[in-house]
Amino acid sequence: MATVSPPMSARPRLKLGKLLPYILLILGAIVVFYPFFYMLMNSVKPGREILHSPNALPSQITFSGYTDVFARLNVLLLLRNSLILAISITLLNTLLSALGAYAIAKIPFPGRDQIFGFMLATMMIPGVLFLIPTYVLMYNLGWVNHFFALIIPAAVSVYNIFLLRQFLDTIPDEQLEAARLDGASDIGIFWRIVLPLMKPALTTVAILTFMGSWNDFFGPLLYLTDPNLWTVQVGLLQFQSGVPGENVQEVWALITMITLPLVIFYFIMQDQFVAAFANVKFK
Amino acid sequence: MATRTADVRLATPAPSAPPSGAGLWQRMLRYRWGYIFIAPWILIYAVFGIYPLVLSFYLTFFNYSFVRPDDLAFVGIGNWVRGIQDPLFWQSTFNILYNQAIFITLTLGLGLGTALLLKGITRGGRIFRTIYFIPVVTSVIVLMTLGGYLTSATGPIQNVLVRLGILAEPIFWQSTFWLPMPIIAVINSWKWFGVSTVILLAGLYSIDPQLYESASLEGANSWQLFRSITIPQLMPQIFFLLVVDFINGLQMFGEVYAMFDIYGGNQHQALTPVLYLYAQAFDQSNMGYASTLGLLLAAIIAFITVLQFRFVQRDVE
Repeated sequence: MATVSPPMSARPRLKLGKLLPYILLILGAIVVFYPFFYMLMNSVKPGREILHSPNALPSQITFSGYTDVFARLNVLLLLRNSLILAISITLLNTLLSALGAYAIAKIPFPGRDQIFGFMLATMMIPGVLFLIPTYVLMYNLGWVNHFFALIIPAAVSVYNIFLLRQFLDTIPDEQLEAARLDGASDIGIFWRIVLPLMKPALTTVAILTFMGSWNDFFGPLLYLTDPNLWTVQVGLLQFQSGVPGENVQEVWALITMITLPLVIFYFIMQDQFVAAFANVKFK
Repeated sequence: MATRTADVRLATPAPSAPPSGAGLWQRMLRYRWGYIFIAPWILIYAVFGIYPLVLSFYLTFFNYSFVRPDDLAFVGIGNWVRGIQDPLFWQSTFNILYNQAIFITLTLGLGLGTALLLKGITRGGRIFRTIYFIPVVTSVIVLMTLGGYLTSATGPIQNVLVRLGILAEPIFWQSTFWLPMPIIAVINSWKWFGVSTVILLAGLYSIDPQLYESASLEGANSWQLFRSITIPQLMPQIFFLLVVDFINGLQMFGEVYAMFDIYGGNQHQALTPVLYLYAQAFDQSNMGYASTLGLLLAAIIAFITVLQFRFVQRDVE
């Protein structure tokens, strides 16, 4: 008789004190999820019903919102523009920030601590200060209505250098010293040892950067006034104002198409998503 | 030491030999890849960070329109005087402070409450964290479309409230004076409280359980434990959230741009400083004045941040 019966204490007794947190958390989860439920429901609900019976379930499921939005708006162009921006910014920023983080964390060059101190100080400067002069600069460079205006300034960022440096601090120097003694150069060490080791942190940084670019609204609004260059966010805002009430499900179809890929992506990589926000270390 | 609790970790200064002329040069040469690897950031920050900052100060002394650059007119401190006397600028500052007071209370309160609940349960914490974090991935335009629809006069929430008799008739809240800022604050806390939750939850887990045990032995009740252990131990996280939320929140733009005209509605009830700056720059095409407004807002942000640091320091002492 090798079977062991579970000890009595493993069977939790139902007490209100233990149940109450769960009830509150479930209520909270419903409130958090409720807008997404409306988003999905309205994207397949006839427009007339969205307006006149907002709380009723759809009397019929229709996908006309999805098909009509493609007919009235060049959704593929918007998606293409957003993807060009998000992918190029993510690749450039992840690579250049990783290089910078490696230099700050592992190469004791003279002036390193001063440069890093300066970097941290720049994080405290509010972005609004750069808004107008950067626009003037872009205008004079001829980069208004050019993707460069959004890609180049975002090609490397202090926050990402900071996150990656924190991760590199956990890699012992001896591991890199051994490679250096074997005659590997810094660039070789970076490519062959540091980059592969940094993979989890790089994923986090890449996700954060991609999401930031995909969701960016102010940048494209300022610099991409040509409708051929509009991103999904700008396209969505412009499209909304032009849709008559009866066809309002088209707007919901568009919102769903913009948001759902990120939500699915989030479900797959949620630990990296959360880490991007919660990984700041405190003394 | 305890006074600078919220400081993110600074670089530990490497033990270095006292720099002598030739030695320094040799070390620079030996570690040259450090300079090469950090060069992209330095270059980009010089062009798109430092140069605009200098230009920003320069522009404040001129009336300047980028579409008619030849009309550049020196006005001295005229833009500053105008900014300090501009009732719309102060209205926008009032609006954003009103909004942030509500937003910060809500996100911190909801975040702390949720974190405490999650710490207390033994199963399913991960599922709840997953759900609470979803809104973080929505963009500001999607957020305002969702929030605007749900709260609109014909939307589901008011529909229920009217049927229950809580509201006599649907409210077109966008055109009222007092409602837009609180409602935007509620919509924004829906999006952001998940971030506060995970940061505060990590803080809760890092508190030494022995602190609670020994205080319980001395007969402290759970409210006393919360007041004298949980809150003080969480101060670094709370302070971090407070500072970061304020710096970001005072620069609100997309939320109001998506829902109102660029002057924030007929009574400027939703005018924020950055929206007003945008209107001055691209509607009035006055880059000099817009630049001055940016500096004024930055000064207000710096002032509030310093106040927060002071407050926390005194609190610790």
